[in-house]
Amino acid sequence: MSDIRLQSNDDDDVVRGLRSLYAAPSGDAYWNELEARIMARVADVELGWWTELDRWVRPALGAAAILLVAAGIAMFRARQAEADIAADSMLSSPAVPVSTAIRPALQDDREARIRFLFGR
Amino acid sequence: MTAASTIELSYGMPSAPDARPDERALVIAAQRGNSEAFATLVRNHQRRAYAVCRAIVLTHEDAEDAVQEGFLHAFKALDRFLPDQPFGAWLFRIMANASLDLVRRRKVRDADELPETVPMPFRDPGESDELRRRLNQALTKLTERQRSVIVLHDVEGFTHGEIGAMLGIPEGTARSDLHHARAALRRILKDVRSDL
Repeated sequence: MSDIRLQSNDDDDVVRGLRSLYAAPSGDAYWNELEARIMARVADVELGWWTELDRWVRPALGAAAILLVAAGIAMFRARQAEADIAADSMLSSPAVPVSTAIRPALQDDREARIRFLFGR
Repeated sequence: MTAASTIELSYGMPSAPDARPDERALVIAAQRGNSEAFATLVRNHQRRAYAVCRAIVLTHEDAEDAVQEGFLHAFKALDRFLPDQPFGAWLFRIMANASLDLVRRRKVRDADELPETVPMPFRDPGESDELRRRLNQALTKLTERQRSVIVLHDVEGFTHGEIGAMLGIPEGTARSDLHHARAALRRILKDVRSDL
């Protein structure tokens, strides 16, 4: 019985002692200041996003403009090259004339059909 | 009057943070970028958050740092929080993690510095009471987890389940840590009694 009482008293002492050791600061001023410090750090984070974004906007826009100009030049050159090739191919004479290459085949085919229809 | 301050006024008398019906509205407002709503959440939870951190770290100053770090983490992770969950439990887990991180960093730093004397973990200038002095010493002999568990349970009134969730340990482990911590403290206090 006395053991139980002693144990209970010890526990009470422990809890009392712990509470006094771990007591949170009292007074609203302390907590208001802590809140202000926390919110200042939060504001830094929020601001950090925007400043970070702002820091990257100009270089990003510059890079985009350079890419756009480079792409424009590349497209212009590609079209120019295509036009040159087309002009060259039109001016240069083909090795075998188209008419002589196709006509015999067409004629043969047509004659074969006529013979097939009327020659029975 | 802003939306956040309207919500704050409607709370009435303070009670357990998660029991507040408008907590969810505050969280949603904060998630939408309303910093005043987040400030209200800070105001409502900072004392309890401090208590959680203080139970894990060694000094008042470290607890302050951990609270600030914890709220910063919470702010950054706010968009991932589901408003239907209890905000307090989520926040205190973050606080416990921030505190454990700080303890780990301090350990690394202290190991590098190799101090000649073991510092007393609790700032208590002018403390002359023998019982408290012995209690202080006894607390240094507990493991970090045992100390955190006994403070969170016996001082702050968290349940074993809540402590387990905060510290990332099973509920049974929290229970047994509490048992061992109490037994150790009781032994030391008994010695003090016999000395007096």
